[in-house]
Order: sequence, then structure tokens, then C-alpha cells
Amino acid sequence: MGGALLRIDNVSAGYHGQDVLRGLSLTVEEGNLVAIVGPNGHGKTTMLRAISGLLRLTGGSIALGERRIDRLRPDQIVAAGVVHVPQGDMLFPEMTVLENLQMGAYLPTASARMAQRLEEVYTLLPKLKERHHQVASTLSGGERRMVGIGRGLMADARLLLLDEPSLGLAPIIIDQIYEVIAALRASGRTILLVEESAARVADKADRIHLLDHGEFVWSGAGPELMARPEILATYLGG
Amino acid sequence: MDVVIQIIASGLTLGAMYAVSTVGLSLVYGSLNMLNMAHGALLALGGYICFYTMTALGMPAIVGVLAAVAVCGLVGLLIYICTAAPMLGSAQFETGVFIATIGFGAIVENVILRMFGPQPQPQSLQIPGDIVIGHVHIPNQNVMILTVALVLMVAMALLLKRSRLGRAIRATAQNREAAQLMGVRVGWIYAAVLALSGGLAAISGIMVSSLYSLLPNMGGDPMLKAFIICIVAGLGNVTGAVIAAIALGLLEATLQYNLGVQYSFALLLFLVIIVLIWRPYGLFGRKQVVRL
Amino acid sequence: MTPLRRDVVVTLILVVLAATVPYLTSTRYIVTQTTLFFIWAIVVTQWNLVLGVAGIFSLAQMALFAAGAYTTAMLGYYWGVPIALAMLAAAIIVVILSVIIGLACLRLRGPYVALLTLAIAQMLYLLIVNDTDCFTNPPSGCMPLFGGVRGISRFGDLGFRALLGSKWYIAHYYLGLVLLALAIIVSIVIIRGPLGLAFQALRDNPGYAMSRGISRFKYQLWVFAVSAFFTGLAGGFYAAQFAVVGPTVFSLSQLLLLLSMMVVGGLGRIWGPVLGALLLMLADEGVRELGDWRDIGLGLILILFVVLFRRGLTGAFEDLWRRLRPGKPLTAPGS
Repeated sequence: MGGALLRIDNVSAGYHGQDVLRGLSLTVEEGNLVAIVGPNGHGKTTMLRAISGLLRLTGGSIALGERRIDRLRPDQIVAAGVVHVPQGDMLFPEMTVLENLQMGAYLPTASARMAQRLEEVYTLLPKLKERHHQVASTLSGGERRMVGIGRGLMADARLLLLDEPSLGLAPIIIDQIYEVIAALRASGRTILLVEESAARVADKADRIHLLDHGEFVWSGAGPELMARPEILATYLGG
Repeated sequence: MDVVIQIIASGLTLGAMYAVSTVGLSLVYGSLNMLNMAHGALLALGGYICFYTMTALGMPAIVGVLAAVAVCGLVGLLIYICTAAPMLGSAQFETGVFIATIGFGAIVENVILRMFGPQPQPQSLQIPGDIVIGHVHIPNQNVMILTVALVLMVAMALLLKRSRLGRAIRATAQNREAAQLMGVRVGWIYAAVLALSGGLAAISGIMVSSLYSLLPNMGGDPMLKAFIICIVAGLGNVTGAVIAAIALGLLEATLQYNLGVQYSFALLLFLVIIVLIWRPYGLFGRKQVVRL
Repeated sequence: MTPLRRDVVVTLILVVLAATVPYLTSTRYIVTQTTLFFIWAIVVTQWNLVLGVAGIFSLAQMALFAAGAYTTAMLGYYWGVPIALAMLAAAIIVVILSVIIGLACLRLRGPYVALLTLAIAQMLYLLIVNDTDCFTNPPSGCMPLFGGVRGISRFGDLGFRALLGSKWYIAHYYLGLVLLALAIIVSIVIIRGPLGLAFQALRDNPGYAMSRGISRFKYQLWVFAVSAFFTGLAGGFYAAQFAVVGPTVFSLSQLLLLLSMMVVGGLGRIWGPVLGALLLMLADEGVRELGDWRDIGLGLILILFVVLFRRGLTGAFEDLWRRLRPGKPLTAPGS
């Protein structure tokens, strides 16, 4: 375990002049898997978008290691090592699986090792190798999710942001996805993921934060949360 | 039979010329959602720069062409900086850029007018002679245009399909935010696309003016045709645009033969209007993404 | 006083002020140029309804204006129709033309409409200019059906020359003023009325608006129809005023000028177009000496205003006003 890789300090952000996140603080230790859970619309995706630079902060700061990243452009933040796998995949619909993966390794440091990266991703996600010439828009939901994650792995990620990896998928596929995530965690990756339901992440996350109406109302380890059914009921509907 | 060959030869030449300028336009719309109304002015600029380089500066043709491409590429970049970049992300981007580029095009055309005067000039880049197929004479000029266009199309296809830049352009067109998350600096991609479009317009302008003549407003009709081709193919559909360009060229050649040059464009426009009413998203169009 | 009534009052005040101009000056040029300003102001206030309020990317206004001019001239020339009647007939024909164009544009999105209308305008221009067959052969020379490059002239006038002799242009001035006043009032009523609100709703939240039964198509057609009437009328009046109608009405220069008027004044605003028309006509007078630079200047103005003053001068004034009087609630669009 290293020190804090990501430091979010008193951050506020929102849309159309309205703040969705209000003065949030969070740290992610290197090599940890941290989960943010909470009902939809309360700011989970907003948080990730603020970290990856798609959204400007209205207050506070975000630092990756020693370096402040909140004022940077999204492409600069990627170059710094933050890879955001967005909600709903956001694949390039008219490109093949292979081309999507190649885009994942767009930055020069990654593209120099393209072949090696592809091998690594194909090993972790063999389905992708099978379908590498298939156009993204023709893939199934689960396949798309895997392409999204695979694409995220093609870059030199110091920190991986996963936005609702289980969204819209059948339980069996979700299991597969979380196996992959667990494997990533086991290999030492630092991951910050958001999910609506705590159940999936409870036993895998090193730390869980509960986000409600733009504020963290509870933080702790996974098993702790599962042992507090009243919290689950109040915020997550059980 | 001779007539058919003649028409096909003219039609392919016209189509090739249109295809060169249309590809640029289609890319710009596909990636930026921008209708570049200064495109016609860029065509004219390309033609005039080539002419000037060759006559006033006495340079060989190849230098003329390169100069035209370079200047128009830079002007394309300028168009991005002055009109699109300031308004990126605003709600009125499409309308705003549309109007702003009309203004930009007017400026360029009038600068040309001031510098070269309103009289038509012949383009210096001419290849004399022709090849004969049966009883049909096909000017070498046409053959050159066709060849150059073909080479350019292949080059563009390779660029878009195989190169890192091409992938980035397609990615930006298909999902801008996702492209940003891959580390693509979209501002530069837009600038690159506009510069590319400018360069292509220059070559197209040289071609058009070599067949007809140089006039400050010579770009107006070819630009309209290029837009029409894009629309018929569906904005952003690059391959479709090339096919449609050739189809349009053949159609125009046929109409010109039957009805004379006078009415062919008017009739063409009429047909396009009908097509648009029948198929609002173009003949092959779906969403606006750059496809290959 | 409701905003609508306030606007109408402002219009009437401006009309009264404008009515004094012929008495304040004996220079014919000023009066005729102001009449031209009236004509352009009519066209841009109506174009503003389509482009600024309804948000339809139509470039057809110039073509409709030209259609009004040509129809009036041709009715007078070929059938000897009295010009006043011809103007009205032309206005109606232009409305029909506009509705047809509107129908064609209904299903199209933004840029497609622009290109369709541009194609239509260009097609009409080409038909006129390329037609070299002589339809008739008067002593002045070969006359194609639509007048060809030289245009149509000698088609009659509104009769003020017979009535007032050399002061006919003053009567034209007042007629133009009346037409402009009517055009402005129509645009006020539309912007302040249900149509304007419907379009505002469609712009702000299309999904909700449509679920509440606001039919974009119906309102679009209405806007096309209504805006066409005064545009066609203005075209007819232009023909009567200048006694010749040629293909220059289709020129890019004119389009540029009108666009600039709307952009500088403020798209979608009630007073934007009029303000823009006034400013640009004044500026045009100022740079008359500069010839070629005119279009370059217009191009620069267009770019500058679109990029920097997106909502035109009226929008900028509004922002300033709002900043000077904090706490005032936001008023309806186009105020």
C-alpha cells in the first residue's frame, strides 16, 4: 500500500449554476479499491467527471500524488494517469472493438507499447479478442462494458475511475465484470468506482463512501456497512 | 456510344473534383457540427494562389499547388480560431458558426477581388493535349484531375482509417467526451480537420478553375454542390459523399449534354430539393458521425 | 402596462418621430434612403421571426423578398395590373411560396434547412439569369420572361407621380413607414403572444413542450406564412420605389447586409432588427466611399458580433440594464 494517490479536498461542482457536490473530501490510497455508493442523481457521476476534468470545479481542489489536477484539461489529466471509464461505456460506435482499444492507447507512452497492452487486455478479457473486428454498436451490453473497461486498461492508468460497471447488465454478466475488477485490484491497481447499490462492492472495496444529496454521509469498510442495515435502508433502500 | 463515353469521362472528372472538396466539408461537419460557409472562398483562394505563384512569381506548377494548399490550410486554421473556437460548447454554436463563416468567406472573396480584380482569368495550370478513345477526345486535363482526385481519396482513406490522427478524428466525431477521456486534445483535432479541409478545398479550386476560369466568386456554386452532395449522402458520411459526388458529376454531365449548361444546375438543385423533402436525413444519412 | 402594450406605444412614438423627417429635411436623398431603410427593416423584422424566434435556419427571406418584387413587376409589366393591387397579390403569392418552402423544411434539422433554402434561392437566381430566350421583344431589346440580367422596368407605379409630381417620394416615404409600423406590430404580437411563448418553450425544453401539445410543425408553418406576407409586400414596395427589379436582389452582398443587421441588432429580440437595420444603414452611408471594403467590413462586423455579442446590441443593453438594476425579475424574451 502506498500513500494517498488521489486527494479530493472540499470540492464543489455542478451544472447550470447549481452545485451538485458540496464541499466533499476524499482520499484514495494507492493500491486500494474505493467505492462511492448512493442513489442516482446525487452526484456520483458528477464526482468522477470532476476528477477526469470533464467538469469544472466551483470550489476545492483535486490532487494526484503531488500534483494538482483540477485545473487541467481532460486530455492532460489522462496523461497524468487518471483513466475514466464513463457511465454507459461511451464507446466509439462506428469503430471496431480493436479500434476502440487502440484509442484507449492514444497517448504516446501507451501507444508505444500497443501490442503488449493489447495482449494484456486480451488475456484478461478473452471475449474481446474473439470479437476484435466487430463494430462496437453491434455488441451486447456485457460485451460493451468489457470493451469499455478494456479500453480503460490500454492507457497507463495510475488511477482507474469506473462509473457504474454494473449498470444495465444481467446479474451473471455483472458477476463476470466484478471478477475482472477483483483481478485488477489483486494486481495492485488503484480503483475508484461508483455504484448505485452497495451490495456488489461491499466485500471487495477497501473503503466505501455513501453519497447522499452531494455530501458524504457515511464512510467505512465494506463489512461495516453491510452490518448496518438501518443505513442501507435509509439511503440505499436496502 | 461515343456520346456515352464522353459523358462518362466528363461526369467522372466533375465527380472527382467535387469529391475532393466534399470530403473536407463532410469531415468538418461530422467532427465539429460546423457548416463552413467560407469553403467556397477557400476554393477560390486556392485557385488564385496557384495562379499568382505561377504567373507573377514564375514558379513551376508543383510549387503553385503546394503554395495554394499551404495558404488555404492556414486560412482553414484561421477560420477555426476566429469563428469556431470561441463558440465551442455554446448553445448557439451551429447558427453562430454558420453566420460567422459567411462573414469570413465574404472577407476572403473581397480581398481576392481587391487584389485580382473582377475579370475572369484563365488558370495557369493547364495540361495540353488529349487522349483518344475511339472517336472520343478526352482532355489530358481531365485525366490529370481524375488521377489526382483518386490519389487524394486513397490518401484520405488511409489517413482516416490507419493513422493515429485519423482515428482521433473519427473518435472525436463519434463521441467527443469519450475522445477527451482517451487523451485526445479535441481543440487540435478540430483545427487539424479545418486545415485539412482548407488544403483539399485549395486543390479542388485549382481543378475547377483549370476547367472553367478564375473569378473571385467562383467558389459559390461548387460549395453549394459540395453541400448538396454531403446532404444527399448524409452529413458526416465520408464514403457516401465520395459516391454521391461521382453520381452528381455523372448526372450533371448528362444534364449538360441534354439541356445545355444553362439549366443543368437549376434542375440539379430542383432534384436535390425533392430528395431532401422525401428523405430529410439524406439518402444514406443516419446520425451525424464520421463513418468511413 | 403590459409589455405588449408598451412595445406598441413605443412603435407609435417612433412612427410619429419618423413622420417628421420629411419636414425636417429638404434633401431628397435622405428621405429616399430612409425609405430604403424602412424596406430592409421590414424584411429583417420578419426574417427575425423565422430565424431568431422560431430558430429555423432559413435563408429564404431574400428569395421571398425577390419573389415579391418580381411578381409585382411582372404583374404590372405583362398584365398592366395597378401596382398597389399587384403588391397585395404578390404578398399573397409569396405567402403561398413560403408555406411550400416551410412544408419542405418541416422535417429537416438546422443546417439542412439552411442548405435547402440556399439551394432554392440559388435555383431561382439561376433560372432568372440563365434564361436568355426572348419572351417578348419590345423596342428596348430582347426581354426574357423574368427580365434576365437587365431586369424588369417600366411596369407602372403607385400613382403618386401623377398626383404629387416631383414630391412623389414623400408619399412613398409615408407608405413605407406605415408598412414598417404594421410589420413591427405584427412581430411584437407574435413574439409576445402564444406563438412566441411556444417557441421559447420549444427552445428551452423541447421534450416538455411537445408533451404539452405544442406542435412544432404547426407553429413553424404559421411563422413561415405570417413572416412572408410583409416580406413579399416589402418586395413589391421595393419594385414600386426603384422602378426596376433585377437579379441583384439575390446577391450575396444583400444577404450579408441583412444578416449583419439582425446579428448586430440582436436575433430574436423585438427591437434588435430595427436597431440593426438603422445602424447598418448609417454605417453603410459612412463607408460609401470605400467601395470594396464595404463587404469586407460587413464580414468583419458579422464575425465580431456573432463571436462577441452573441445576442446583438439589444442583448448587450439588456445585460447592462440587468446589471444596473439588480433584483429586477427577468422579463420575457425580446423585451
